[in-house]
Amino acid sequence: MEPSFIKMLTTSILLFACLMVSAQGESDGYADNDTSVQKLMVENRLFPTEMLTNTASISTIPGSTLDKMTSPSLSGTLSGQLPGLFVRHGDSKPSSNGSWSMIRGVGSYGRGTYNNERVYLNGFKVPRSLLSTISLAEIESVSILKDAASLATFGMEGANGIIWIQTKRGNIGKASTRVRLRSGIQKPINIQKPLNSYDYASLYNQAISNDNGQWTPTYSDAQLESYKNGTGTDVDWYDETIKNAAPYKDIDLIFNGGSEKGRYNIVLGYGNQEGLYNVHNTDETSNLISESFNLSSNLDFSLFNDVIEASVDINGRLQSVKRPDYTSLESDLSRYPSNIYPVYDELVTEDELNFSGTSLFPNNPVGSLIGVGWRVYNNRVIQSNFRLKENLDFIVEGLYMQQRFSFYTSSISGYGKTRSYARYYEGVSTTTHQTTSITAIPYHPVEMDQRMQGDVALGYDNTFGKSLIHSALNFRVSNRLGEGLINYQENDMNLSGRVHYSYNSRYVGELGFSYYGSDAFAPGNRWGFYPAVSGAWIISNESFMKDQNSINVLKLRGSVGLSGEVLTNASYSGYASNGRYLYQQYYAHSTPFYKGISAPFSNTSSLSASFIANANAFAEQSLKYNLGVDVRLFDKWQLMADVFIDKRSGILTNQSSAMLYYGNYDILLNIGEMTNKGIELSSIFENKVGNLNYSINGMVFYAHNVIDYQSEIPKSYPYNETTGRSYGTHMGLEAIAFYQLSDFNPDGSLKEDLPIPTFGTVQPGDLRYNDLNGDGFIDETDITKIGSPDYSSLEYSFGAQLEFKGFDFNFLFHGAAGGSVNLLNYGEFVPFVNNGNAYEIAKNAWAYYPNQGIDTRATATFPRLTTESNPNNFRASDFWIRKNDYLRLKNIVIGYDFSNVIFRSNDKISELRIFLNGVNLLTFSNILDKYNMDPESRYGYPNLKSYYMGISLAF
Amino acid sequence: MKASRIVIGLFLFSVIDMSCDDYLDTRIDTLITTKSLETRTSTLWEFATGFYAPLQTGFFILDNNIIEAITDDAQQSSPTGSSYFYTRGTINSDINPMGSLYNHYYEGIRAANFFLEYADENGESILRYNRDTIRGATSFQRDRDNLQWYKSEANIAKAYYYTELLKMFGGIPIVEKTIQTDDNPGTIPRSSYDDVVEYIVDLIDTHIDGLNDWRNTVDLTNEFGRFDPLTAMAIKSRALLYAASALNNPENNLDKWRKAAQAAHDVIQEMNYTMPENRNYGSSFIGNNPVRSRANIFIIRRPDDNMVERNNYPIATPGGGSGVTPTENLVSQYEYVGAHDPSDRYANRDPRLLATVVVNGSRWNGRTIDQSPGGSDDMSNENSSRTGYYLKKYLTDELNLIQGEVTQHQWIVYRYAEILLNYAEAMNEAYGPDQTPGDFTLSARQALMEVRRSASTNLPAIVTTDKDEFRDKIKHERRIELAFEGHRYWDLLRWKDASRVLNQPVKGVKVTRDKYSGDFQYTVQIVANRTFLDRNYRFPFQRREIVNSNGTLAQNEGY
Repeated sequence: MEPSFIKMLTTSILLFACLMVSAQGESDGYADNDTSVQKLMVENRLFPTEMLTNTASISTIPGSTLDKMTSPSLSGTLSGQLPGLFVRHGDSKPSSNGSWSMIRGVGSYGRGTYNNERVYLNGFKVPRSLLSTISLAEIESVSILKDAASLATFGMEGANGIIWIQTKRGNIGKASTRVRLRSGIQKPINIQKPLNSYDYASLYNQAISNDNGQWTPTYSDAQLESYKNGTGTDVDWYDETIKNAAPYKDIDLIFNGGSEKGRYNIVLGYGNQEGLYNVHNTDETSNLISESFNLSSNLDFSLFNDVIEASVDINGRLQSVKRPDYTSLESDLSRYPSNIYPVYDELVTEDELNFSGTSLFPNNPVGSLIGVGWRVYNNRVIQSNFRLKENLDFIVEGLYMQQRFSFYTSSISGYGKTRSYARYYEGVSTTTHQTTSITAIPYHPVEMDQRMQGDVALGYDNTFGKSLIHSALNFRVSNRLGEGLINYQENDMNLSGRVHYSYNSRYVGELGFSYYGSDAFAPGNRWGFYPAVSGAWIISNESFMKDQNSINVLKLRGSVGLSGEVLTNASYSGYASNGRYLYQQYYAHSTPFYKGISAPFSNTSSLSASFIANANAFAEQSLKYNLGVDVRLFDKWQLMADVFIDKRSGILTNQSSAMLYYGNYDILLNIGEMTNKGIELSSIFENKVGNLNYSINGMVFYAHNVIDYQSEIPKSYPYNETTGRSYGTHMGLEAIAFYQLSDFNPDGSLKEDLPIPTFGTVQPGDLRYNDLNGDGFIDETDITKIGSPDYSSLEYSFGAQLEFKGFDFNFLFHGAAGGSVNLLNYGEFVPFVNNGNAYEIAKNAWAYYPNQGIDTRATATFPRLTTESNPNNFRASDFWIRKNDYLRLKNIVIGYDFSNVIFRSNDKISELRIFLNGVNLLTFSNILDKYNMDPESRYGYPNLKSYYMGISLAF
Repeated sequence: MKASRIVIGLFLFSVIDMSCDDYLDTRIDTLITTKSLETRTSTLWEFATGFYAPLQTGFFILDNNIIEAITDDAQQSSPTGSSYFYTRGTINSDINPMGSLYNHYYEGIRAANFFLEYADENGESILRYNRDTIRGATSFQRDRDNLQWYKSEANIAKAYYYTELLKMFGGIPIVEKTIQTDDNPGTIPRSSYDDVVEYIVDLIDTHIDGLNDWRNTVDLTNEFGRFDPLTAMAIKSRALLYAASALNNPENNLDKWRKAAQAAHDVIQEMNYTMPENRNYGSSFIGNNPVRSRANIFIIRRPDDNMVERNNYPIATPGGGSGVTPTENLVSQYEYVGAHDPSDRYANRDPRLLATVVVNGSRWNGRTIDQSPGGSDDMSNENSSRTGYYLKKYLTDELNLIQGEVTQHQWIVYRYAEILLNYAEAMNEAYGPDQTPGDFTLSARQALMEVRRSASTNLPAIVTTDKDEFRDKIKHERRIELAFEGHRYWDLLRWKDASRVLNQPVKGVKVTRDKYSGDFQYTVQIVANRTFLDRNYRFPFQRREIVNSNGTLAQNEGY
């Protein structure tokens, strides 16, 4: 996108806004959506229920709260906002900017950890990617549906929870307009820099000597000296390629208003986020730039004296991501040592791009930004929803019918300009690359996703004396077509219903069900029935509680019911099905057999069954129990608590109990079982002292799962097994020490009384493991639990809001605990191996070269260095496991609203607020302190901390 | 209320009007289904390949290399790897890298059983499908012949896989059905060693006449490489030889030796071949020669590649990995064909030495190998050979690995020299070195000498008439002639020599140069210690298999 075009666009939006101001002379004040009655309603499928009589476990956060944090996407703002929603920040790269999430932890190994919940927007299923494309300004509320009462109606989609998003709708009343501009800078939290040339080379000398068994330095003292005094090659590749700040800006414009007959909410949005790459934007080069354009309009109409209500939502989102035409820069930066070559080869004069490069390190990081051209990917998302509701009060009081249709499509296409550059070393071209001029890559489709959904509903709401009833029956048909990544069609049908009955606002009962049909299974076996029952007792409305006023609300609620999950990660070797069409027997060609008398030999491929079809394959089932209590005290203090159990059964699992002498085969059976339990607590205290409005909020939630059955191949000892442990538990050896010189005989062999390590030969300074079973060998049978899984089992957050005479301040801390990190998954902890790089941690390696004055035997915290793959040291063991507890200052905002100061006489302007916002400003983390590794986003593009300022205007 | 009924009726109508099950039929089969199988003739032929697919060449059997690193003939140059589980005797039911061959070979048996079931049930109808069987009678008959031949081959394949399983595990379960046709097939106990042998012999005797002689069917030589009568006889010869050996014939039942001799004699008679004298031993393992040679019985053909060179070229050659390096234990066994040369310990040796082993001073990979300190292949360099030798057999010289040059490598499973040695061994045990009773046409000595003269007519004559001494000569010859062909480890086991031989350290030579003369000097030194436990005469069954069998499968002793 041309910068001039952006300026033009910005200017015209502002102009338009000014025109609207003058045109709206009549309007008197901005209607704040936050105070709307919906805040007291709990969103749920088919119909919302009043918070008081709600029986389900649902957590909701208003969009306005999320929007306090500046973020390019909705998914970046969800950390610590919803009890039960575990969030881990993923990649901070502009465009991928988003988080991974899971509701109530891991319920099933059938789908694994993050991102298995379904996302619904305004009642329709949307892909999870929408969490990163939707504009925060559009959002009315985000809820997570957690228990059987709220999930049963989702049938085979419900077991892993639902994220339920409602967008803002028009309000009856004065037309209002709101503009907000924000801009700021984003800075890396952590850059894990490798060692400089001197440290790298001196440690390399140790590593190679360790491998050779004697001091045999590769780098001479003169070379080391040259690194030290700056005459040798010493390139800080990060400094060369990564800037320490990148700009961000966004603009929102919201129009809201309407009458009884028609209402509208229109959002225009623009966002622009640049990457940290140190490169100019020219015709031939580009930084990473993500731009997004949003236009969403939600329209509601009442026709024929409110007999018919209609809604039309049309949302268009464009996102364009431009980047240098090279995608492995981050991994190169971590892998390329400082001393490999200077950035430019000064001996080359005839080539304007005189980049250094070798066949071992071919992609000069600076060249990867400047010498390769760029690509742009355009993602276009259109969602249109149409709703028609007939209020049939004239037939039966409270009866209505509703028809809805939704169309969603997204398509990505790419375009770019590419070139390549020659690699030189000491004046000589080292690879087959040549410097070419820039050429265009024409537009090409990358991916398409299309969904159509329609439903009809019949509902009945009424009150009879003290009884209140809400009920609805809904039939939905959904179709999905995809190409690119999803090369198939998905159809499903769902007949669902809910009946909600409350008596005297004291006793509430609710029944819900889904009769769900999926195309994934065999004819005759496609439909599943998922019922749920729930209830609530509002004790505070009992007569015996009427006489006190310290307890405003005291409610107990509980639910039990079934839900399912149609997808699974289980796959066969070479055949990933996502759980679809497992009933159909498929055959595949495998290894050919060669015949004939001379090469090339003729061959016939061999054919064998890909797996054994399972006609009974079905969706895994979840039986959920939930017990909750809602309390409101002194009209100020709100408390909510939930405990849950989720029993999974029928998880599709590759059966391992058949005899191998029947040949290789795979069969997925619904045999896996898992139990997930947890607790959620949240609290808000709101108060007003004079002109000071304040609130303090906090939450803590925990989930712990255990695999009950997974058809695990029997292990030698119970402690070797992963069954009975949490999904993803780190398994490995227990490291007890470094081997010392005294552990070896003079001929270099290990002393006889020590257990024999079977993973590789060892020498002093290698890791010594615990022989758990005492058989004299360190082997697979000594493997046990060495750490909790990667994901956190506990998350918490706390924050406060303050308002005082136009001044406002709020902050949110988010923390997590109970997860652990296996350092070996990250390259910087395996120095020198495979021509690898070395980091700070290598400086503390075990080494003993008395003649060179090197002796770290007593103080070493890292095994001896090596240039070889050392299967004894570099294997899963508790030596490499670190607890990953952390706490972040996720968001802090300070603002001041001038509207009361400046426009006291003129109340057309209801808000003129300037504010400062900081995101991720503080992080407390052991692995960040020690290894410069962000606790959430652990490798690749750095995680970001950001400083923003903004202005918002409403009238 | 009439109106409400209309509304509810409308709602139900809109719901029910959808034909639900049609809507949920989204399956589009881009893969082959059972139905599509029955309409393609090629299906039959592809299933008939299915039982060949699990055949394993010996090139990549352990540590992605040949198996000899676990024998006294070679040492793995890499300090780590799976071979150490065997050389330290530590294999158990959890750790046995070659244990996956069990899965491979039983998969071959399953594929053969499946093909037999499938061909019996659908073969004829598939061949008739969409075909004019009257006017196309000739090609129809040819396809029917093929089907019959392939069915016989499936039985021979089973025989082959059982011989392989037998040598690793001892008695194993005999599986006659597949899980495709019976989804609850139950468990099967192990048959005894002798029962499995009997089963193998019975399979071969029953089906050998149904096999086609592909190598001599002129218009079908492109099918050469499938199991043919000669291969079936060779399988039988080896199976009976193993069955007669000390490990499996503790009472030394001479009748077993006689049967083994007879089976080998059958092959010799059938082949009607004489090994040429002073042949070029080395080249017979290189390129397309194994396929072309009449001396070879069964060969697993492979597409061109350079993995064997990548694995075993000296580390100093770009792209090489040193890999499996011959030991001094083996090299010292090569006899002299002339006088000792004090300046070159490798001169005047059995010519098979320099065709099998790269020694110091050999011309190899475009250089003269110098392993002395500072030389081209300095032994102190990381991952260079610790024995002072590199593998030469099978390797094509001077492949440019960096540029990805490739060549042919065909794995010889059965060849004439082995049959002669099988024969010599069985005859010696049954009748002594020189007897030729009954229909036998040559003696043990004649068979042995044919192999030796083929290597070199200058090899010392074998004069002993003592059965035990002669046995040692046969063992020696087997070790030299069949070096690195995957025999040594299993031979040591079946002779029950393993607990003696495989508990000896393996040796190499340290190469230095004389300070003054510059001549190479060799010091024999121990390279690695070896451990072989009595239980290691059999592989352990995988823990999974034992546990899942619910007690019907007995683990081998000691595991």
